[in-house]
Amino acid sequence: MNEDLDPEVAFEWPRDAMRDGDWSVAGVRWRVMRKVYPDHPAPWFQGIASHLRAGELDQAQGLIDIAKDKYPNHPSALILPAELAIKHKQWPIAQGLVSQAQELHAANPQTWIISADLAELREDFEEASACLCKAIECAPDRPNLLKRYAELAMDAEKYEEAQRRWGILRDRFPEVQAGYQRGAQAASLDGDNALSKDLLLKLKYGPEYISPDEHIETNQANQADQAVHAKPSQSPLMMLFGLIWTKAMFNLHSEVRRNYLSFGWWVIEPLMYMAVYQLVFGLLLNRGGENYSVLLMTGLIPWMWTLKAISASSGSIFGGQSLMLQVGVHPIMFPMVMLVQATVKQIPVFILLMGFVWFNGIGPGSHWLMLLPIMLVQLLFTTAASLAVAGIMPFVRDLLNLVPTGLTLLMFLSGIFYDYRTIDEKWHSLFLLNPVAFLIKCYREVLVDQAAPDFSGLAWRGVLCAIACGLLVVMYHRLRYVYPRAVME
Amino acid sequence: MEPVVSLVDVGVRYKRKGSIFRRSSYYQALESVNLEIFPGETLGVLGRNGAGKSTLLRVLAGILHPDQGEVINNGHSVSLLALQAGFDPVLNGHENAILSGMLQGLTRKEVTSRVDEIREYADIGEFFNEPVRTYSTGMRARLGFAIATITRPDVLLIDEVLGVGDQEFREKSEQTLTTRIKSGQSVVLVTHSQAQTRHLCDRLVELEHGLVHAVERV
Repeated sequence: MNEDLDPEVAFEWPRDAMRDGDWSVAGVRWRVMRKVYPDHPAPWFQGIASHLRAGELDQAQGLIDIAKDKYPNHPSALILPAELAIKHKQWPIAQGLVSQAQELHAANPQTWIISADLAELREDFEEASACLCKAIECAPDRPNLLKRYAELAMDAEKYEEAQRRWGILRDRFPEVQAGYQRGAQAASLDGDNALSKDLLLKLKYGPEYISPDEHIETNQANQADQAVHAKPSQSPLMMLFGLIWTKAMFNLHSEVRRNYLSFGWWVIEPLMYMAVYQLVFGLLLNRGGENYSVLLMTGLIPWMWTLKAISASSGSIFGGQSLMLQVGVHPIMFPMVMLVQATVKQIPVFILLMGFVWFNGIGPGSHWLMLLPIMLVQLLFTTAASLAVAGIMPFVRDLLNLVPTGLTLLMFLSGIFYDYRTIDEKWHSLFLLNPVAFLIKCYREVLVDQAAPDFSGLAWRGVLCAIACGLLVVMYHRLRYVYPRAVME
Repeated sequence: MEPVVSLVDVGVRYKRKGSIFRRSSYYQALESVNLEIFPGETLGVLGRNGAGKSTLLRVLAGILHPDQGEVINNGHSVSLLALQAGFDPVLNGHENAILSGMLQGLTRKEVTSRVDEIREYADIGEFFNEPVRTYSTGMRARLGFAIATITRPDVLLIDEVLGVGDQEFREKSEQTLTTRIKSGQSVVLVTHSQAQTRHLCDRLVELEHGLVHAVERV
């Protein structure tokens, strides 16, 4: 070996073996080092330490005898013999040597480590802790000392104290995993599960992981919202109305965006229906008459409002199954959204109807205001019908198959593409019991005949429909928790 | 300590509807379940498919009422972490955020004031203003999670959702939930991952055939 080599560089060779815990190999390598650097204390004392760790006590004893004479003032000249004495269980000798080291080499951490070893063997927890404290003071940059300090409390089953000590380790050496892992164990054994969980999470996500207090501070801006949520700022009813309106509006947006002609379809669709009926009844069957297209429009357009609301509502609660089970939304929302959607879509169509009537020479006037009570009664009827149909379906699913047929029957019995006055007069009162037929009659009275509708008939029908709506709302409320089950089962 | 929500002898059975060719039958999803959820604790619910875990969460959330026994809740809000609730593929991320947030019990004003927060958290860039149908599965999951986490119920119920999105977002979502758990919120977590429950839960409950099979303190 090159004797000019820096000894510290050369010593890395045996130190490697020490780091690997290969103490016998380290002992042999230090022997080589003693030959090359006979006047350097490290090969002697590190060699002794390696033999001690390897359990080669005789070899250690031999080296101690030489090293003590060679370096009498070196701290290891007292510490290592004390360690050997401990191995031989020669307690008084070990204690004597340790006391001597404490007197002469108080600034050396090894002095306090061996002192702690001895105290621990005597099961003197307090003394061992005090010695380790001094060792930590002498070598504040060694996390292993703090680790041992905390482990000492763990062994003594003093978990609260252990927790405090692991805390010191985490503060000084946040990168050392044991501080979190063993700290969590200590916290758990001490009964502080929250801290234990916290530490395990920090171990997983890194120490920069936000602690709860900091998180709350950084989210102060959100706290107002959180408080709001804990105590809703709106009544549940208002929130439900808001939700129904928003959902209906977004559904309309969504519907419009699906097609190239977007809003155009709201108007094109009734016009197409009208064209079909005009072709079949007016032209082919020659059932029309003067102003047949006006008669058709005044029947068809109000009818389509009710038709669309009922047919869209009928399966709506089934369609809302996943939402009801996910967020517990009120089942009445589903038919109501459909109703709102159908109603909003009806606004431009009604304007179209009025324009159409005007175009056909029946001018506008204040009598058009009389349309409002008719629309109100139709809204009440459509609401009641939609809620009833939608509400029954989850319980009697087979009825869903009857909805289209039922609506077709209703359409034929409502005088949409014919004037009810063309049927035998003896049937009139029975015919007008059908609310749709009655409403269409009223629309035509206002729009075509420019006359007042049957207000008393409207009034009692309106009241009945309003009562029906009220009863249906109560039913929905009562069955609120039954619907999610009904659609699942 | 007083529990936030208690289940006392709770049983839920579902009816398997019959037809003219088949008689109706019943399926017992939960049977005499007794369970208490304490403030600030994280309860893990383990169990195989069909063990009754989702039913248990729905009963806790008050979505399903039990057929037997009772759920005692002294006015605490309990809700499921609802991912992509009510998403409409034609609407854009912003609109879906508002709709989904409202479905989860916030007012429109409340959701609108937090849209930026949702946008930032979802981290899907310009796609936030594009229809959700153009999103990848991962982007959809990101948006869904971002919206779901703005609500703050007293008890949060999580049904196996910690595996959403790509690796990066999975870590982010997991961290958000663990922050919640850590900040003292009561959480009930249904999961198949034993490792995850060990990490996060204070207590574990194992469900088997609708019965609470074992309760273990972690």
